[in-house]
Amino acid sequence: MPAQRGREESVAREGPETTPAIVVEGLSKTFGKGESAVVAVDDVSFTVDRGSVVGLLGPNGAGKTTIIKSILGMVLPDAGTVRIDGIDVHADPRAAYRHVDAMLEGARNDYWRLTVRENLRYFATISGVKPDAVADRHERLLAQLDLAEEADTPVRELSRGMKQKVSLASVLATDADVVFLDEPTLGLDVESSRTLRRELRRIVAERNLTVVVSSHDMDVIEDVCDRVIIVGEGRIVADDTVANLLAGFDTQGYRVVSRDIDERTVGAVERAFDRVTVERDGDRTELSVETDSSGFYRLAGILERGGVTLDSVDTIEPDLEEVFLRVTGSVDDA
Amino acid sequence: MRDGTADGGGAPAPDPDRQAGYLDLLRAVGYREYLLFVRYPADAVGGIVVSLIFFGLLFFGGRAIAGQALTDEIEGIVVGYFLWTLSVGAYSSISNDIGSEVQWGTLERHFMTPFGFAPVAFAKGVAKVVRTFLISVVILAVMLVVTGTTLQLDLLTITVVAVLAVCSVLGLGFAAGGVAVLYKRIGSWLNLLQFGFVVLISAPAFDLGWTRLLPLVQGSALLQRAMIDGLVLWEMPLLDLSVLLGTAVGYVLAGYAVFAITTKRARRLGVLGDY
Repeated sequence: MPAQRGREESVAREGPETTPAIVVEGLSKTFGKGESAVVAVDDVSFTVDRGSVVGLLGPNGAGKTTIIKSILGMVLPDAGTVRIDGIDVHADPRAAYRHVDAMLEGARNDYWRLTVRENLRYFATISGVKPDAVADRHERLLAQLDLAEEADTPVRELSRGMKQKVSLASVLATDADVVFLDEPTLGLDVESSRTLRRELRRIVAERNLTVVVSSHDMDVIEDVCDRVIIVGEGRIVADDTVANLLAGFDTQGYRVVSRDIDERTVGAVERAFDRVTVERDGDRTELSVETDSSGFYRLAGILERGGVTLDSVDTIEPDLEEVFLRVTGSVDDA
Repeated sequence: MRDGTADGGGAPAPDPDRQAGYLDLLRAVGYREYLLFVRYPADAVGGIVVSLIFFGLLFFGGRAIAGQALTDEIEGIVVGYFLWTLSVGAYSSISNDIGSEVQWGTLERHFMTPFGFAPVAFAKGVAKVVRTFLISVVILAVMLVVTGTTLQLDLLTITVVAVLAVCSVLGLGFAAGGVAVLYKRIGSWLNLLQFGFVVLISAPAFDLGWTRLLPLVQGSALLQRAMIDGLVLWEMPLLDLSVLLGTAVGYVLAGYAVFAITTKRARRLGVLGDY
């Protein structure tokens, strides 16, 4: 039984009941040397409580995948430590891999020539658990992900959405209680993505899994995650719950649409407010102004003086995408 | 304890009865090979047909050119060709497999295993060698029928000598697999090395002492004596068997070391699993 003893010792030292599922401290990684060196991960530290779902957000090249691969030991970091269930992943990887699995980069991570069920059994064994011991779980997973009817079908014969579900199922088929999902809905249509998110949420709650999700899909992050870590240029630039992040950027705004706003009125609005966005489509002009309710009266006054007839007025609520763009934009500007 | 229900918030205690051992690992990779073998027989049959066509060209073409001289040597050629097909399969089992796993996106999952990346790669290599052995036996049988040759087929002797001979090549395959982890597209170039096995198999092990330390050489010489002269395992000189065993173990360990070093370098460079 490989690595079992090492894990027991590690957990005994750390005290499993009180330890966060994931502890990352001072993780750093630079690729290359000298002038061509690229800092991919820069002193990243965070913890993830057991049973929580954390989203990892960041623009392309921000270092999300390198962070995940460094945590999992696939990339050797220059500095830092990672503990999963109290086990030092880099010092005792074999013990840690009994507790963690990953679906990386939303790609296929199973064998297309094997059937769905054969994949679940194979990868359960590879991850160190006897497939017969988790056969019941496999049947439940197949049912939860609507794969029961395709259980004995080779994966290559399934649709893209089904294949993605099989990838997820083969990761959840193991004994891992910590799971990393990199772009789990990549390439899925809206309906398939929604189904996968719903089932993922249900399975996570049911099995008390600890999950780190990396995704460009804000719906995935908002739907599934308790907390969001935003990464920019290899550093953590924000780390909070979705609600707190939205509250932190709760700058009220108003969107005005009209067909007779002239340049002089637009200029007056731009001079009166710091954040104004103007979009024109033919004779239709859309003015988005970031301001509070008192500012709205000033805006209304300017428009009235300009003789503007309003087609519509809406309030603008910040969403996670806007928060993400603001946060990562401020990194780019720095 | 961990049967799919919530476990109360603490890190789950490992249940030894649920944990898979190395035997389970071997069974899993072996079963996968079996499934692919029976589900996609065209792959195996195609390999056999290509090997036999190649042998046919060698045999009939050679006889047309060299006449009786080749016919006199046919037993050695058959045994050598049998060992060559076995060696090519063993060599490519790990290196080609790694290239394929990278393309399929499954390499990382074989890295993230409590068994360790190298032991899993080795287990997969062993499973493929068993499959290759079965295919090579079919090729051997057809070669014997086509050429009208008879050989001494002591199963124990042939299995032990062939397995130990192939182990040295498996070690080379391990090293090549390690290089493939670092440089994914080098696989096709590494496959060219398999033509060098022809030289090793036909090297005069008993005439030049040091050549017997090369992969395949000692095994090829002993296999020739077993299958042509009828020499059985316990009649073989202890020194010859020791060299055979030593080269088998030595090359496997050396290949394993190269694999471990290149994998670590791939992790440092961040290219593990990248294509």
